[in-house]
Amino acid sequence: MMRLVINPWLRSLVLVALCVMLVLGTSRTAKASTQEELSDITTQWQTSVHALNDINCASCHQSKETKEFLAEPNHETCQSCHEQAVDTFLLSKHGIRLLEGDAPLTPAMARLPMRQDAMQHQMNCNACHDVHSVNTVEASVDACLTCHNDNHSLNYQNSKHAELFAASNELPRPGAGAVSCATCHLPRVVAEFDDTLVHVNHNNTYNLKPQDRMVGDVCMNCHGIEYSYNSIFDPELVEANFDRPPTLELQSFDLMKAAEQRRTGNTSE
Amino acid sequence: MARSFKQRLGRLLSLRTGIVLALVLLLMWVSAAFALDQKQVFLPGETSEGHHVFEASCASCHEGFKPVSNENCTRCHQAELVDDVHGTKKFRDPRWAEYRERVDVLTCTACHNEHVHMFDRGVNLQPDLCMACHEELTLTQLKSHEGFAADGCWTAGCHNYHDHRTISTGFLRQNMGAPSMLPVQEVPDRVVATSLETAPTPDLQKEFLGGGS
Repeated sequence: MMRLVINPWLRSLVLVALCVMLVLGTSRTAKASTQEELSDITTQWQTSVHALNDINCASCHQSKETKEFLAEPNHETCQSCHEQAVDTFLLSKHGIRLLEGDAPLTPAMARLPMRQDAMQHQMNCNACHDVHSVNTVEASVDACLTCHNDNHSLNYQNSKHAELFAASNELPRPGAGAVSCATCHLPRVVAEFDDTLVHVNHNNTYNLKPQDRMVGDVCMNCHGIEYSYNSIFDPELVEANFDRPPTLELQSFDLMKAAEQRRTGNTSE
Repeated sequence: MARSFKQRLGRLLSLRTGIVLALVLLLMWVSAAFALDQKQVFLPGETSEGHHVFEASCASCHEGFKPVSNENCTRCHQAELVDDVHGTKKFRDPRWAEYRERVDVLTCTACHNEHVHMFDRGVNLQPDLCMACHEELTLTQLKSHEGFAADGCWTAGCHNYHDHRTISTGFLRQNMGAPSMLPVQEVPDRVVATSLETAPTPDLQKEFLGGGS
């Protein structure tokens, strides 16, 4: 009788212990690569901007201090060269948890609609960037859409912006005429003291509110100010991801025109 | 008489046990929250949309029970305040002291409290907050603004409290009248130079095959 009672208990205990060991075991060591995977990665890397600037495997996969092998380099590894990119990423909603020493952000924590199959994706540099090919075309649209599932994101494909992006077809990074998710949300910024230096602001929340930051930094690279403001202040058009010209007519511009008329009228008197 | 005394004592005792039990439970709950790293239970209200992803990281903003300092906010929000028209540089000047009494412009949390209801853009004050200082000028003296709603200054998208750069009348005047599509439609091009003709020999190989940490 006693044995009958104990046995199921013992069995479940052993099962739990095995599960715990399995979880601990897998989390401690990263999966070893196969020769095939390694060859693929090496091929990708060989034509990348990393390889052609003498950034070799050990540049990222070996600790600078201890010379220990790093199977999975993290954002701090990238930061040692890409300081501005990582610094701005850490201030964004995407990166703030890492800055604060929390576990990386996952779509499951978001309030915006996210794809069900991406809920446990961890947000780090690697989540959007293929660090071996250093191809940022993928990071500028496809990477976003692996998680983001709201109407604005999904409607991007219907916009003129997406047509431009598809037509530009440049590698390894989107050309100056392509408009991707990143063009607006992670905009290129010309460095203040060096016109030839163009950074990518990885703080995607910076130009969201107030929206006029995006107007000045992004929209007005291609559009006039009235067109830009009348588009971005129309929530329906934003949700439709700008699939048509704006119909809104902001009163601010009428006020400005009236003020201009008064001003030029006064000066001509 | 004796019975009612006994009854009262009994009731008191049970009340006391109840309180002690409740306190013990509360203590266990609080320690469990700390031990299991579930600090969300201490959140006094809904966290704003900008901060909710790290809302359980209390120490990100709070230093013990001290009020949240401006330095704590600017640790992350410095870029947003680069060109602040209501900035500390201006309002530390004694000439503006009177206005500081109307809205405490030198303290971030005066308008951007957390864990309370937000109207928009992380602002917890009523949307007509501008009227504390600007009512006289705009709604009574500015003819162009006659009949405008007191809560529309920023909610309608016309004015910003901090960053004026792309919405100021000067900026609008300078840029108005441009066509919908500018003659050149280009974002800054990003060029990354390369220093080698061909890739070097990969310097790690067998390490990847062995796994490791």
